[in-house]
Amino acid sequence: MSELFVELFSEEIPARLQINARNELKKNIKNFFIDNQIKFNENFNVYSTPNRLVLHIDKIPNEIKLSLEEIKGPNVNAPEKALEGFIRSNNIILEKIFKKNTEKGEFYFFKKESRKIKVSDLLEKNLSEILKKIAWNKSMKWANYDLYWGRPLKSILAIFNKKPLNFDFNHINSSNKTFIDKSLEEGIKIFNDFHSYLKFFKQKGILIDQDLRKKIIQNKINEIINKKNLKIEQNDSLIDEIVNIVEKPAVILCDFDKKFLNIPSEILITTMQSHQKYLPTFDKKNNLTNNFFVVSDIKDTKGFVKLGNERVIEARLSDAEFFWEKNKTQNLVKQVDKLKNINFFKGLGSYFDKIQRMRKLSSLISDDFLISKDKIEIASSICKVDLMSDLVGEFPELQGIVGGHFARFQGFDKEVCLAVSEQYLPNGMESKLPKKMYSVALSLSDKLDSLVGFFGINLKPTSSKDPYAIRRMAISLVRLIVENETKIKLKDLIVYTCSVYRDQGYEFDIKKIQNELSDFIIERLKNYLKEKKIRQDIIESSTFLLGLDDILKAYKKSICLNRNIKKEIGLETIAAYKRCSNILNTEEKITIETLGFADPGLFKNDYEKKLYKKINDIRKYFLSIGKDENYEESLKILSSIKNEVNDFFDNVIVNDEDIIIKKNRLELLNMLCKTFDNYFNFSKIEA
Amino acid sequence: MVSKIKKKTLSFQDTIFNLQKYWSKKGCVILQPYDLEVGAGTFHPATTLRSLGPKPWKTAYVQPSRRPTDGRYGDNPNRLQHYYQFQVLIKPSPKEIKKMYLNSLSSIGINHEEHDIRFVEDDWESPTLGAAGLGWEVWCDGMEVTQFTYFQQMAGVECKPVSVEITYGLERLCMFIQNKKSVFDLIWNDEGITYKDVFHQSEKEFSAYNFEYANTDNLFKIFEMLEEETKLLVEKKISLPAYDQCLKCSHVFNILDARGVISVAQRAEYIARIRELTKSIGKVWIESQS
Repeated sequence: MSELFVELFSEEIPARLQINARNELKKNIKNFFIDNQIKFNENFNVYSTPNRLVLHIDKIPNEIKLSLEEIKGPNVNAPEKALEGFIRSNNIILEKIFKKNTEKGEFYFFKKESRKIKVSDLLEKNLSEILKKIAWNKSMKWANYDLYWGRPLKSILAIFNKKPLNFDFNHINSSNKTFIDKSLEEGIKIFNDFHSYLKFFKQKGILIDQDLRKKIIQNKINEIINKKNLKIEQNDSLIDEIVNIVEKPAVILCDFDKKFLNIPSEILITTMQSHQKYLPTFDKKNNLTNNFFVVSDIKDTKGFVKLGNERVIEARLSDAEFFWEKNKTQNLVKQVDKLKNINFFKGLGSYFDKIQRMRKLSSLISDDFLISKDKIEIASSICKVDLMSDLVGEFPELQGIVGGHFARFQGFDKEVCLAVSEQYLPNGMESKLPKKMYSVALSLSDKLDSLVGFFGINLKPTSSKDPYAIRRMAISLVRLIVENETKIKLKDLIVYTCSVYRDQGYEFDIKKIQNELSDFIIERLKNYLKEKKIRQDIIESSTFLLGLDDILKAYKKSICLNRNIKKEIGLETIAAYKRCSNILNTEEKITIETLGFADPGLFKNDYEKKLYKKINDIRKYFLSIGKDENYEESLKILSSIKNEVNDFFDNVIVNDEDIIIKKNRLELLNMLCKTFDNYFNFSKIEA
Repeated sequence: MVSKIKKKTLSFQDTIFNLQKYWSKKGCVILQPYDLEVGAGTFHPATTLRSLGPKPWKTAYVQPSRRPTDGRYGDNPNRLQHYYQFQVLIKPSPKEIKKMYLNSLSSIGINHEEHDIRFVEDDWESPTLGAAGLGWEVWCDGMEVTQFTYFQQMAGVECKPVSVEITYGLERLCMFIQNKKSVFDLIWNDEGITYKDVFHQSEKEFSAYNFEYANTDNLFKIFEMLEEETKLLVEKKISLPAYDQCLKCSHVFNILDARGVISVAQRAEYIARIRELTKSIGKVWIESQS
């Protein structure tokens, strides 16, 4: 039993690429062992540091035995050349060839004797292919080479059973050597096994195993925060990134001047986390403190690292402070006029024009939401002013949030401030969703205005291109409606938005916008339902009859049917519908068209009458329910027709000789289907 | 007794000298700054155009870089609308480039064994140049001091061979070396001249120009004229003069941007127009190289 040990040494590979490369390498090597029926320790690991991608598998046999096998060649009727090729490629002589009948005709064969193969030979032959198969999320070329890799690859160390494996991977020859320092790449050392490799680097403080690095970083941080009575925010993606950008982590607690804590904490946190990869700390009351962690890749023996990082954060924060102090006192209302100088979009006017439209739109929405018109109009007016501030210039990701802070500082109403903060939320599928009505109203009007505008000037996204993230806007709109159970008439709002644009002098083709935007939003609803793991046929059905004004309904009905589709009420509802619609479909294809009005005077028996009565009961139910439909109850009512339907089909022959009777029965079935349409059109549901 | 000698603070100009000497020894052609307003050293034709085509090329130069939107009237200790980049471009990228870079840091007093030098992912893209590259920003104790990029695409064309570009932010680097909190306190030379003495007035006046006084109506017109001129020169197949006009376009756009008269969406349109110019120039240049 032997071990395979491979190290790929490169320039610094970014964290997320390392993670992706580790997974890819692991998958590819595993497949290789399985495909070749080589035993191996399945609990193997792939490790990485920024510079080293390391594979280690043990418990591998040195040889594998391949049993005798018959290798199939060309058909006996194939041209002679095919046989020659077969002989040549298998390196055999003609005498070994024999003919044999198979299901597909007579073929040439030869017997490959059982034999032993050295695993090291197989590895040498295949490793290059295995490495080539790594699918990088992002890769690059360098110098004159044609190889793609995460960053320039410098050397490959490959060992099996303590002996080097020799193969070429593009321009690189594998060996048993690697660079021992990642910086100057001067020292080179031979390694013949993984254990001595690990040990060597550990002595230098370098931890090859990322999980170990993570543990050590976390332990050190915990030790310090416990001592100092601090907390950190759980932030897995940041920690994982940090773990993968160091090889010998040293945790350093740094601090900045407390005066900066007067700046809104989002700004401080963004600066620390996304710009500097620092971990901010909080006190027991969850207030941000002036302590933060730096994970250095070097022991800070002279204190340079701490000093340097503290200087960097102070410089960045004094920048932010300068802007905060300057911007917060700039009167939001007085600046509104200046929005005239900032174009929202070519062909859609300035941001001043936009907020005028948003004001009207949100004001109309406020009627439905029963919220203060004055407040939502104020929020609309000031919501884009922060775009002109230096702070948003510096921290574009904090647009809105920064505006909310300005508004708070200037004493605006609490709900107005929150609405300004949350106007861009949600931003796509995963993002946080605003819950407060003022925020929802502002966000809705922002998105509607943009959607109508972009469709108005014909900038709809194409299947491959969506440069203005219009899809995300529409998905966010759907989420606002569905997840907040917002009862708005979207169709009317779109028409109104168009008319507001018209008032400003825009000549949009209103009919076209309505149709296209409506289809577009419905498509997003379908995507949204798909994300919620709703069956495709249910999604199709729910959006078949229900339109833009019924997004919430379509969503709820889909959820409800999806939940019940394998349960009795679901199965029975669909079965009843299908029995009727199947007959209708075959008949309609031939001649008879039905309208869904049966004439009770033409009924010949009780089964027809009972079914008719039941259908009418169900109709009454649907007429009686208002806005508070309980969809589960509706399904139950629909499924309750099961007996009447079964009795009808067991005892009545639809295909009566009398064409009038036959048509009437078909009318009855159509009536049932139409009644079921009250839930939604079940014709697309696969039974 | 060498170790007892007090280390003299490396002045701003000595930093430049040292880097020039270092890269000169590595075989680079030491060029002087390009004589047009550009946003970064990358825009120098010695990088943009020379990185295209098959011929090997090594160069290093200082490039004054103008970013009108970054002006702060000389009030901000870290922001300037005019600053210096030290740019190195080598094609094809040499195997030992990282070692060369780290040693260049030593030549200006930054020892990588004492500082936390980090290569942090930073894929670079220049929409106006139709350029993209993969690489890092190099951090020294948390401060970004260099951009390190392997060009993959330039002027919309795939780079083959691949060039490596190293861009040092000279002011940042010097603030680090000289331990200064404000760029204006940097020691320029051994006579005690500071960065403030040299550039403060210029920062103040140019900020006023960029943000307040630049005549935007004229600039919009100038942009159109320059664009037209570029297209004409491209037709005549003279790439270098065409590229000059394109650089001017780019700078006019930057001032308009600083004046706040270009919206986010309009920006995209202007950038696309400049990119189209660059691409057409790139084509003409490549044809001239074979």
